[in-house]
Amino acid sequence: MTARSGLHPSDGRWITVGLGASLLIALGLPLIVALLWSFMDPATGWFAPDILPPSYALDHWEWAARNGDIAQALLLSVGIGLAVTALTALLALPTAYALAKLPFAMKRAVELFILAPLIVPGIIVAVGIGTIFFRLDLAFSIPGVILVQTVGTLPFMIRVLAATIEAIPNDLINAARSLGAGPAAVARHILIPLAWPGFVAGGLLTFISSFEEFEKTFIIGSPFVQTLPVILWGYLGGRVMVFPTAAVVTFILLVPMLIVFFLAERVLRDDVMAAGMGKL
Amino acid sequence: MRRLPQGVVAALLVLPSGGYLALFFGLPLLLAFLGSFGLYARGGDGGFTLRHYADLFGTQAYRDGLVFSTYLAIVPTLVSLAISLPLAMGLAQTFPGRKLFNALYKVPLVVPGIVAAFIVMTLFDRGGLAARLLTPIGIDLPKIVRDDWAVGVIIATAWKAVPFMTLIIGGSLGAIQKDIILAARTLGATPLTAFWRIQIPLALPGITAAFLLTFIGGMGAFAVPNLLGPVYPLPLSVHMYVNAFERNNWGLVAAMGTMLSLISVLVLLAYYRTTRSLRTAYGGEVR
Repeated sequence: MTARSGLHPSDGRWITVGLGASLLIALGLPLIVALLWSFMDPATGWFAPDILPPSYALDHWEWAARNGDIAQALLLSVGIGLAVTALTALLALPTAYALAKLPFAMKRAVELFILAPLIVPGIIVAVGIGTIFFRLDLAFSIPGVILVQTVGTLPFMIRVLAATIEAIPNDLINAARSLGAGPAAVARHILIPLAWPGFVAGGLLTFISSFEEFEKTFIIGSPFVQTLPVILWGYLGGRVMVFPTAAVVTFILLVPMLIVFFLAERVLRDDVMAAGMGKL
Repeated sequence: MRRLPQGVVAALLVLPSGGYLALFFGLPLLLAFLGSFGLYARGGDGGFTLRHYADLFGTQAYRDGLVFSTYLAIVPTLVSLAISLPLAMGLAQTFPGRKLFNALYKVPLVVPGIVAAFIVMTLFDRGGLAARLLTPIGIDLPKIVRDDWAVGVIIATAWKAVPFMTLIIGGSLGAIQKDIILAARTLGATPLTAFWRIQIPLALPGITAAFLLTFIGGMGAFAVPNLLGPVYPLPLSVHMYVNAFERNNWGLVAAMGTMLSLISVLVLLAYYRTTRSLRTAYGGEVR
């Protein structure tokens, strides 16, 4: 073997092989096992030492298709996700603009306060809000869940939007203003169209984090607001472990997420995503 | 048309999200903080008391829970860091299929923690696939799910955290100007020296930010330790839930929340110290 310093292009294949093998074990294998569980035949079961199920059946998928709770949870999860995304974008835009374009006193303090929800564990936020929601009659309600999820999604959205708006040339805004455009017209004709990639990327990620959110939703909403993760919790945390059912719900939960995620991948550059999270 | 002063405009623009967070984040935390001392508390007499902290530190299960929460914050974070750093370095190289890998490795980012817990169960629980594969070749797998060292929790948490850390670390490694590394190499530094003395220090703000966010996630996690963790000790997050919704003991819950927040703040301060000393040491180079 020759002594080499550093990785040369010819080593590229080895990186591909190494990464491919790791991904297969860490990502492919678990998903295949979950998929096998979802197609397990209840008539034969799938017990040790069988590596593969002895036979396959659609029973659990049929059960899920007939089960009204799951369809309802899916609809609810999507609805809450859309509401959280809309509310987050609406609240985030003005603040992102101020942070990106205006100098003002105590800017650093405002930035830190807006980031603060990221560094406080969600369970503390949820239990804290819970005490207020009891008084406001928002506990165990869908609006309550939307409000508590937005606390977690707002910091990231403001970050991504501020980064996008920062890149819009000031000249454009000033020109529009000097030609008589009011703040609303500037927002409608310049800011929103030019910051659109930020809205799309931030919006998709907000939707994802709402769709997968469990802890805050569970504490504020359960047992009355049953989103998909809350239902899955029921199948895993109970006395009887229901692997096949849990596997089916896992895929009902995962497939929409993966679709949205790969859409987000196309519009969101890594450095924007990293800048949104990696600088406190 | 009269123009408003810029400060007023900025304040009005910050108001929607600032006010929202003040109302639904700041206020609850403040009330929890006061409530932990018995002030303005639900079901309390409203007088100042250290009773809840005495309860927290006087009960063995809660003391152990605090230590266990810290353990669940530190260990998965260190494990993830040990995987993420080489992964981020590897993904920065040129190799066939790079674009595909760059998208695929991020998949666990969008997998809910409960699903990660379910996957660990199917693979590592007694009778899980790992045991089925290893038993025939004579390897007896130790208990990994609901074990004393919370290995299952560590696996599930790290599985979710690795893409997150890799993304942030990769971002800060990518932001380093290539000239600096090349300059170091020209001056005789080996790739390893250049890595430890140039790339790691310059990427440290990203690395520490990733560390901090993963740490806080692990400390507050509720679902994964509840499903995969040992019966004893329970992390403080689980104690918080039980005391809030099953025992209605809100003062104690507030004290626990305040303790966990305090640890977060201490780690955050350590983070600011690290990044500031780096900025001083490297002048304007740290981005």
